[in-house]
Amino acid sequence: MNRAVDPRDLAMDGDGLAKGEVLLEVKNVSLRFGGVKAITDISFDIRKGEIRAIIGPNGAGKTSMLNVINGFYTPQEGTITFRGEERKKIAPYQAAASGIARTFQNVALFKGMTTLDNIMAGRTLAMHRNFLWQLLYFGPALNEEIANRRKVEEIIDFLEIQHIRKVPVGRLPYGLQKRVELGRALAAQPSLLLLDEPMAGMNLEEKEDMSRFILDVNSQFGTTIALIEHDMGVVMDISDRVVVLDYGRKIGDGTPDEVKANQDVIDAYLGVSHQDEGEG
Amino acid sequence: MFYREAGQFKTTYAADQQVFPILQDRIGVAVILFIAIAVVPFVANDFFMSAIAIPFLILALATIGLNVLTGYAGQLSLGTGGFMGVGAYACYKLATIFPDVPIVAHILLSGIFAAAAGVVFGLPSLRIKGLYLAVTTLAAQFFFEWCFIRIPWLYNYNASGAIEVPGLTLLGVTVTGPAAGSIPRYYVVLAIVILLTVLVKNLLRGRIGRQWMMIRDMDIAAELMGVRPLYAKLSAFAVSSYLCGVAGAMFVFFYLGAAEPSAFSITLSFQVLFMAILGGLGSLVGCFFGAAFIWILPILLRAGPPMIGIPIAAETATHVTSMIIGALIVAFLILEPHGLARLWQIGKEKLRVWPFPYA
Amino acid sequence: MLYQIFVDPFAQMVSMPDFLIQVIWEGFVAGILYALIALGFVLIFKASGVFNFAQGIMVVFAGLTLVGLHEAGVPAFLALILAIGVMALLAIAVERFVMRPLVNQPEIILLMSTIGMTYFLIGFGEFVFGGEPKQMITEELGLPTGSSAFEIGEQGLVILQHIDIAAAVIAIIMVASLALFFNKTRIGRALRAVADDHQAAQSVGISLNQIWAIVWFAAGIVALATGIMWGARSDVSFALEIVALKALPVLILGGFTSIPGAIVGGLIIGIGEKIGEIYWGPLVGGGIESWLAYMIALVFLLFRPQGLFGERIIERV
Ligand SMILES: Nc1ncnc2c1ncn2[C@@H]1O[C@H](COP(=O)(O)OP(=O)(O)OP(=O)(O)O)[C@@H](O)[C@H]1O
Ligand SMILES: [Mg+2]
Repeated sequence: MNRAVDPRDLAMDGDGLAKGEVLLEVKNVSLRFGGVKAITDISFDIRKGEIRAIIGPNGAGKTSMLNVINGFYTPQEGTITFRGEERKKIAPYQAAASGIARTFQNVALFKGMTTLDNIMAGRTLAMHRNFLWQLLYFGPALNEEIANRRKVEEIIDFLEIQHIRKVPVGRLPYGLQKRVELGRALAAQPSLLLLDEPMAGMNLEEKEDMSRFILDVNSQFGTTIALIEHDMGVVMDISDRVVVLDYGRKIGDGTPDEVKANQDVIDAYLGVSHQDEGEG
Repeated sequence: MFYREAGQFKTTYAADQQVFPILQDRIGVAVILFIAIAVVPFVANDFFMSAIAIPFLILALATIGLNVLTGYAGQLSLGTGGFMGVGAYACYKLATIFPDVPIVAHILLSGIFAAAAGVVFGLPSLRIKGLYLAVTTLAAQFFFEWCFIRIPWLYNYNASGAIEVPGLTLLGVTVTGPAAGSIPRYYVVLAIVILLTVLVKNLLRGRIGRQWMMIRDMDIAAELMGVRPLYAKLSAFAVSSYLCGVAGAMFVFFYLGAAEPSAFSITLSFQVLFMAILGGLGSLVGCFFGAAFIWILPILLRAGPPMIGIPIAAETATHVTSMIIGALIVAFLILEPHGLARLWQIGKEKLRVWPFPYA
Repeated sequence: MLYQIFVDPFAQMVSMPDFLIQVIWEGFVAGILYALIALGFVLIFKASGVFNFAQGIMVVFAGLTLVGLHEAGVPAFLALILAIGVMALLAIAVERFVMRPLVNQPEIILLMSTIGMTYFLIGFGEFVFGGEPKQMITEELGLPTGSSAFEIGEQGLVILQHIDIAAAVIAIIMVASLALFFNKTRIGRALRAVADDHQAAQSVGISLNQIWAIVWFAAGIVALATGIMWGARSDVSFALEIVALKALPVLILGGFTSIPGAIVGGLIIGIGEKIGEIYWGPLVGGGIESWLAYMIALVFLLFRPQGLFGERIIERV
């Protein structure tokens, strides 16, 4: 079943935006948990086709930011505009339907399911056949299943994980789990892909592989990516623009070089014992 | 030596997505079906058919029902007995009100009432999880038990308070009531169980089954992938209760013949739960293993020791059964949480590499 | 109909206040017993996150052991001490053979394992003590019997069973001593630490396994006390096992980790279901006591999933 992947096949559904236009805009967002201010008045944007890194020390509010973007948390203040639609509150499944997919800091795979089923799970929104057809597993339902299976196999080929296709993901080593999780997100053919520390806990070689996959996804499928990562080398290498958070506030925003030169950013990073492994 | 998949290459995704991709498995299933259809009824005696084969099949179906909810969708239920009761009483009322409609139609319809009940009591699952949900299913259990006792309309105002199955025919053969022979009853039950098992298998390997498992394994991630928890959970409740309801209806119409409310008590809920756990949560074949094991063990314990000359009081046998099953539940949870189904799979894998110890 | 539901019961309550007080008292005592069972749950849940379905059967088992030993000719107080010893053995066995091998398993697996334990104990208990209900040795243990009547108003009369009063007193002593134990002793503080942080407990120099055995033992003692009080009101029988499940709605109200919650929840359920049964039950044929508690909990869950005393937790990913 080895086949070169045709990029057109996996590209996200057209969202009508040209490269460089604003895809997502975060405006004055604040989020609190009881007394804890996770995010305070943050604004930034993500443009079509770019790799946008979000960095900051542990507890800076990066994961919370992603959770706000895909509707898992509802911010107390501020709005999110995605593909021109402004919203304040959105259910996670609606965010998914509008074209946002993500991976998680602590791998959140479906542990009891195989690699194949996990990636098929990513195609949930592409499958519509109703209950009765599903009961019969025949005709349209079977065709739909097979068409989606084909897409999933392309992703499996792309990520080079053919050999673990039928292995329950709970038994896979951590690095592979992260890769399967990326596959699951890609399966949704999102227009915005959120990656929460995709390289945490990986060795150098695995990191290089993962960086390559991220760059390939971006260039071949045209997927816009928001990336949280602690490894500065990787961030500076692969991202187009970087936004820096600290204690829930934005302290820097710009190209990697601009950010590197920003005094606030330097202070924040010197003041904090910075962990490479992420976790936190 | 003979159980090998070597040489069996899948050239299409359709072939790879079959229920039994390995040829030997397909042959095995065909043989089992053949035995169930064409051999068992002709060699087994009436006791075996009435007291073992029929209740085993019915309880296996109930176990599949519970497994859909607990094993696949991850929502613990202690109300199986109650939902089975809803099916049984619905079927009884349907058969009373429309005596001319074929009984099989009533049986299949009665599950819909149970499904509706399941959806109502499943609603809280949208806000609460895990252990809390167990309490709402207990509410269903006790509430339905109460209905079966306190609402005389449900049992046609019988003085006994029990429902008694009328003698109904199907294609000219009596299949229910005291006059029905065990073989016709067996065939009706077998047909319904096979039909529903196939349909459930189809659900499980498609989109809907996958959504249930997504909710079970990581509900947050599932929602972020576009699963709507409302539909996923309620559909699991509906399908699960449907199967339990059908099983409950068959339990009365083809096995018990008459039932008091206590037939659907929490004891039954636990019995089915144990079948699901021992058989293997999240496995369809496991349901059959678990049902067989838990149904047959007490019969063996009662009949076995006297046969080899050890007298054992019926009560003692019951107590020992209860101890053994309790201990086995704990042992399986510790040693093999995937139950008998997993042991079966391991056995098959051993067979695949036989006569070599490793592949 | 509406009148019967919304007006009539209240009119009855007002016109016969002594009867209302009697009903509330009955509910109060039942509630205390629910609360005691719930307390056993909470102890174990707090320290190990295990939802102990077997607490109800532990009550029955403890009661039967006590009565059974007495029947076998052991003097009452010695039987009591031996019963405590049996509960200690049970705690050690549970820790060694169930909890330790299942450490870190998902909570649903742990719950199911305690359901398995329940069945084992039912079989074992019936095997050893027989299935028939037994009379509690109330007098032999020096617990009061008899009752006192109090006049209320003109001609009202409220009757209080002495054993019920004793139950209330013992429950209060029990809760107070548990509170002291948790707050003032080294082991108690370690237990609380375990609930928050396993490492912290180890730094106190007590192993997790010991702690689990201790909480199961504590829950066993609570079970024995519950078994005695309950047995004194009715009989000691396996039917109690089902009644004991009412501790679950109690916990839902009170929250799974709160001792005051268990008490308040127990009283709300106990009083609520008695009043419901007496004043509204007849409208639907009676017997609603069997499910009312669960329905109260179910409705409550829809509005306040975290319980009366719990804090709302926002899940993380
Ligand atoms: N569900 C929650 N409930 C309470 N507090 C929360 C919750 N989620 C996040 N927080 C708090 O919000 C703050 C920001 O957390 P967040 O996880 O967004 O940080 P982060 O930048 O992703 O850190 P890390 O690099 O460690 O992943 C932290 O103080 C955290 O404790
Ligand atoms: Mg984070």
